[in-house]
Amino acid sequence: MTAPLLSFELAAARRGRTAPLFAAGFALASIAIALVGLSAGGSIVVQGFARTSISLLQLILWVVPLLALLSGAVAGAECYELEFIAALPLTRAQLVVSRWAASLVALGVALFIGLGSAGLVISVFAGAADGWRYLGLLAIAALLLSACLAVGLAIGVQVRSRGRALAVAIIAWCVLVVGVDFVAMGVLALLPAGTAVGPLSLLLVADPIDAARALGLGLFQADAIAGPTGAALRAVMGGWGGLVLIVSLLAWTGLPLRFAARTLARRDL
Amino acid sequence: MIELKQVWKQFDERIVLRPMDLIVRPGETVALVGPNGAGKSTALRILAGTVHASGGSATIAGNTAYLPQRLGVPESTVVGDLAALVAGARRLPQHVVDRVRQVSGLADRWSARLSELSGGQRQRLMLALATADEIGALLLDEPSISMDVDGAEEVRATIELARRRGAAVLFASHHLQDVACLAQRIVLLVSGEVVADGSLAELAAAAGVSWSTGLIDPPIERVYRVLVSRSLGRGTVRAA
Repeated sequence: MTAPLLSFELAAARRGRTAPLFAAGFALASIAIALVGLSAGGSIVVQGFARTSISLLQLILWVVPLLALLSGAVAGAECYELEFIAALPLTRAQLVVSRWAASLVALGVALFIGLGSAGLVISVFAGAADGWRYLGLLAIAALLLSACLAVGLAIGVQVRSRGRALAVAIIAWCVLVVGVDFVAMGVLALLPAGTAVGPLSLLLVADPIDAARALGLGLFQADAIAGPTGAALRAVMGGWGGLVLIVSLLAWTGLPLRFAARTLARRDL
Repeated sequence: MIELKQVWKQFDERIVLRPMDLIVRPGETVALVGPNGAGKSTALRILAGTVHASGGSATIAGNTAYLPQRLGVPESTVVGDLAALVAGARRLPQHVVDRVRQVSGLADRWSARLSELSGGQRQRLMLALATADEIGALLLDEPSISMDVDGAEEVRATIELARRRGAAVLFASHHLQDVACLAQRIVLLVSGEVVADGSLAELAAAAGVSWSTGLIDPPIERVYRVLVSRSLGRGTVRAA
């Protein structure tokens, strides 16, 4: 990645409409989740950081991957339209990584604005207790954004056409959000009792959304609702489970980016 | 210097460029002409590195500037951002960027998006960026496309200036008058194959078209038509 290319991509991302719209939409949704529950007297009751974060986690797990996969898919497919830029003294890997990094910064800032607004509201109305855990939630959201952007980019580069890339990104989102859970249920149903722990742990690191979910719930010690894969991971990994999940999310960023860079380098523009 | 050695290209099952040899020396301008689908753009794109050759070798000495037929950047790109990218990637000093600003005639549109410029303005900008610094080779695919008469004249002047500075210039064009004005050598491609290669006088002689250097309007279109129709019916015409 070179500084001029990154600056160029950042300028393009900054001037786009996606990041501001995402920031505004996410801020509204986050604040709405924070401002829940009217008491009988009609006064607003704001949940504390811990409870709100668990509610917001669900929003993050659904919205962030979808937006990141779609944005990444478009960015990846657009690589084939950059003939003038590709003929400059730059490598295709620099092109891919710069596009990913610029999207990560633009959408990351939008995400922080959105979640930050909700955090501000919570701290004003309910105090700052558990605030550091909320920061942890932001970090998990950023890791998930990074991983899903990389997967989207790899899809876009592989599929090439923008329309098809968007379609494949939506399918990938469905698979990652619910498909892996179906597989987990199937594993639990088919394997004899006590033997499903290994396969379930693998499933958790094989799905960045599930990994982020388990990390987020672990952050707020909501182990009971971490799901069968989260429970299995804890059984196998013990206290190292969180680290394994973080490494798996980083791998979900690095491996698709490497794949996208190699694919683009081999292809004709 | 630009050199193609037995370069060929196949897309799926279709051969779009048959083994091609070509040398363009520093200070020389060579035009690639031929009907649509002849392989002109493919040859240029292989040299620019945006398309991989199926075989053979393509080499360029020195910095390469390439102006593709398509815009090659998103239309939403801001002029100043694109200039900054080119300057950064090629390590151009600020005064060169300032010169591009003036030469392109877009100093007052530096914060405009490319989509807000006319086709001619875009082409002028891209050409000014491509030829901003000292370049070893200049590759242009239909450089006069979407240009008016004055714009086309500016393009010709820019190409000529790059050649005089010592660049090896290779361009593809359907504008045969541009070809007649600029090219010391013309390479005619038909169906992916080089069917004629030589100066306009040599090609005219090979086509049996009478022509003398004193003519104001060289009969390049007649030469082109004769050679293309002949090559579609028969084999290669070697003018040089």
